[in-house]
Amino acid sequence: MTSMIERPAEVAAPAPARSRARRLPASAGQALVWFAVVALVVGPFFPLVYSSLRSKPIYLPGGTFTLAAYRTLFADPLFWTAVRNTVSFALGTTALAVIGGTALAIVCARTNLPGRKAYRLLLIAPIVIPPLGLIVGWLSIYGQGGYLTQVVSKNVHLPVWNLSSIPGMSLLGAVITIPVVYLTVQAALAGTDSWMEDAARSAGAGPWRVITRVTLPMLRQAIVNCTLLIFALCLEILGIPLFLGAPSNIDFYASYLYRSWSSGANPDPAFVSAGAVLLLVVVSGLLLLRARLSGSEQRFIAAGARGGGTYRPLDLGRWRWPASIGLGAYIGITCVIPLLGLVLMSGVKALTTLEAPWHLFTAENWRLVATDPTLRRSITNSLLIAGGGGAATVLLVAAATLIAHRSGFGLRRILAPALIYPRAVPGVILGIGFFWTYLMFTPGALVRNNLWGELIALCVRNLTLAYVVIYPSLARINAEFDRAARSSGAGWWTIARRILLPILRPALLAAFVLMFITLLGDYDPVVFLQKPGTEVLGVTMLQTWQRGVVGPVAALAVVQVGIVAIVLLLGTRILGRLRRA
Amino acid sequence: MPDIRIEHLSKSFSGPKVLDDVSFTVKDKEFVTLLGPSGCGKTTTLMCIAGFQTPDQGRIACGDDTFVDRDARVDLPAERRNLGIVFQSYAIWPHMTVAQNVAFPLRVRRMSKPAIRARVTEVLALVELSALADRYPHQLSGGQQQRVALARAIASSPAVLLLDEPFSNLDAKLRERARDWLKALQHTLGLTTIFVTHDQDEALSMSDRILVMNGGRILREGTPEEVYRQPRVRFVAEFLGQCNFLTGAIGTGPDGGEVLRTAEFSDGIKVQGRHDGPTGTIAVRPEDIEISSGIRPGAPGMGTEASVLHASYLGDHYHYQVAVGALQLSVHSQRPLAPGPVWLRIPPGVATFVE
Repeated sequence: MTSMIERPAEVAAPAPARSRARRLPASAGQALVWFAVVALVVGPFFPLVYSSLRSKPIYLPGGTFTLAAYRTLFADPLFWTAVRNTVSFALGTTALAVIGGTALAIVCARTNLPGRKAYRLLLIAPIVIPPLGLIVGWLSIYGQGGYLTQVVSKNVHLPVWNLSSIPGMSLLGAVITIPVVYLTVQAALAGTDSWMEDAARSAGAGPWRVITRVTLPMLRQAIVNCTLLIFALCLEILGIPLFLGAPSNIDFYASYLYRSWSSGANPDPAFVSAGAVLLLVVVSGLLLLRARLSGSEQRFIAAGARGGGTYRPLDLGRWRWPASIGLGAYIGITCVIPLLGLVLMSGVKALTTLEAPWHLFTAENWRLVATDPTLRRSITNSLLIAGGGGAATVLLVAAATLIAHRSGFGLRRILAPALIYPRAVPGVILGIGFFWTYLMFTPGALVRNNLWGELIALCVRNLTLAYVVIYPSLARINAEFDRAARSSGAGWWTIARRILLPILRPALLAAFVLMFITLLGDYDPVVFLQKPGTEVLGVTMLQTWQRGVVGPVAALAVVQVGIVAIVLLLGTRILGRLRRA
Repeated sequence: MPDIRIEHLSKSFSGPKVLDDVSFTVKDKEFVTLLGPSGCGKTTTLMCIAGFQTPDQGRIACGDDTFVDRDARVDLPAERRNLGIVFQSYAIWPHMTVAQNVAFPLRVRRMSKPAIRARVTEVLALVELSALADRYPHQLSGGQQQRVALARAIASSPAVLLLDEPFSNLDAKLRERARDWLKALQHTLGLTTIFVTHDQDEALSMSDRILVMNGGRILREGTPEEVYRQPRVRFVAEFLGQCNFLTGAIGTGPDGGEVLRTAEFSDGIKVQGRHDGPTGTIAVRPEDIEISSGIRPGAPGMGTEASVLHASYLGDHYHYQVAVGALQLSVHSQRPLAPGPVWLRIPPGVATFVE
């Protein structure tokens, strides 16, 4: 795709007629991009469903159509335990995240809380922190052997929490998903004027009454919307049960699939595909329901479109400062301290309160990261995927977005849903789908055992994010720009290359930064694809942790967080310069 | 530059017709205006000519080139019609300098670099923007942006220049100047131009010919004077300036010409043109009605008694609301008049029949 967008710039003025003939016809190029996107997004599901219905793995000869895989799945008591665990976790997490996120959004958007502007930014930080970094950080501080857990239980002799229980995992799940609720509710608040609240106040209602009787009912749709989204996200969560659930032997749906896959006696069991198909059906159903209840893709435009508005904030009275301090403490406990714990853990032999950390200082973890070939390779591989895959995805998605919204291509309407769908599909499912795709089709062999296969799976899984950033910016570009270029004699690709993409530059950069950060931290789709030599950060951390080696994992997590911080910093600086120009 | 012919254009967007059998021809070097209220189909017509919309029926041709012919299944893409367009928003690309904007149509046509440079210099001089060639659009005023849009539109010497309400983003003073300037440039270069506007002053001051549209149809076509003085259709008379309408019986005047008699004007009003049937409606412009204070002892047929109900001062004239019997008329006059009885006269020849 890259080559099509960067078609050779004008060769020094040959005869007009010839050069015109050499051009790729617009519709053929559009068809190519369209086909690439649709094939990549829809492709993996056919082999997935197919393999769940076969009696033998599809790479073996023979085999018949059968429902045996589904019967095996339903007969497994561990499956039902995992389902029960997942549902309790999802209910707990969703309740906590929705209540917490809504409260935070209202407090930050509608009251006179001191420091609310800074909090608005800090509250969405967990989105850019690599998820495994946050999980490992939490474990280092609040896990069973965590630093604070030890302080409380051994030094202060108080009854202690258990992070590896379902309520404990729900708490961390809520911390990770609260930014999603916060952003959705905040966007809904920014989109509604505060007149109605002002009217209630002038009718004599106090702040509490205004919030409960006016603000909350107005937000009902946004809350229903993100409740379903969070619940669906919880069903597919893999990192939390693998890291936190392991000590208590608690499996969730995704971790059950992963464990059955990697530890099963027979390789590539069909019942894992069956489980993936079931999860796909449930999650797709939930998200379809959500799309019907809300205004489909509108949410992407609303998010971050405009913040605040001219309103008179509700007065929290004497609760102003306690609330602000409480919010600061929340951010400290959930993000800052775990990140510090991560750094601490990466620099000590063992995390214990029995001895001062500086006595246990060691550079061994870092030496291992620098020398161990697997660990080193996982960093370079992840950087390659995040950089190269991110750039390629942004270009492909940019072309597809232009075709979807700014062309006369016949089948363009399919592109927008195709660009949104991959992110709605659980990552592990997409991973299994790609595994079978690479096995089933001949071209798949080209990428099956190398980094390309993982790159494709990760990029397809996350291409929605690029679309979500690019589309709103494109929608703001006056369509008369295209028309002016067409009447100047420019064809579709020339308009894309010379007019629309240059104007979209800030959005393309923002999309790339978001893709880079996400690709660096994501691992769900590749846990089934990783082979020796094709390690990526997330999966290496997972596997190293499972072997009981924690120090280097913390060091890798610090590396991950550090890279993300640098890219964010650079990205926002370049973006600022682009916007000023 | 060739003629451009629009024949039997029809279009609807799932509902009533936006264009209903629209036909007209624009001759070489002619400045033709499509005038009408919003939703009348003027912009749709222009976009069909430009190639951004496809008519359901009809044919558009420019010289020997057929742009659209629904019967012959021809629909030339917009980029191959060789037209220059100035859009309402100007649509100057924000990431290019003035010179790059103007050079774009030339670069797309793969002209040599020196040729492009020469042409850009020439065109920018024409629109008096030579000094601003390296500025970016956001550094320009509204009037300058409009001229960049025009320079870009004419850079590749298009067959026809299309203007889509190009003055609507300018303030009133600037608009008047830009109007004169554009008309002079169009005349000097001999550009065949189709201009879309809802502003009657723009239409009257610039056009060689005006087509007044409403409801997807062309209601009246003619020079500015013809369209203004003989609107023929009530809608046209109302849309172009203000108008009084009187309905009455048609008879023959003392000199044999047609007159319209109403209860208030029993002597009859002498009307231009002919009208069939026993009754009819005439249009009289407020500025054509004579009005004076005091009752003059006039001979029969010289005027009618009336009274001023309301007066407002508009700077260059007074606007009076005058009652003549049961009728109310608008009258413009340079003279200040006190409320009360006045003398009112409709001179022969200023009234025209309308449908």
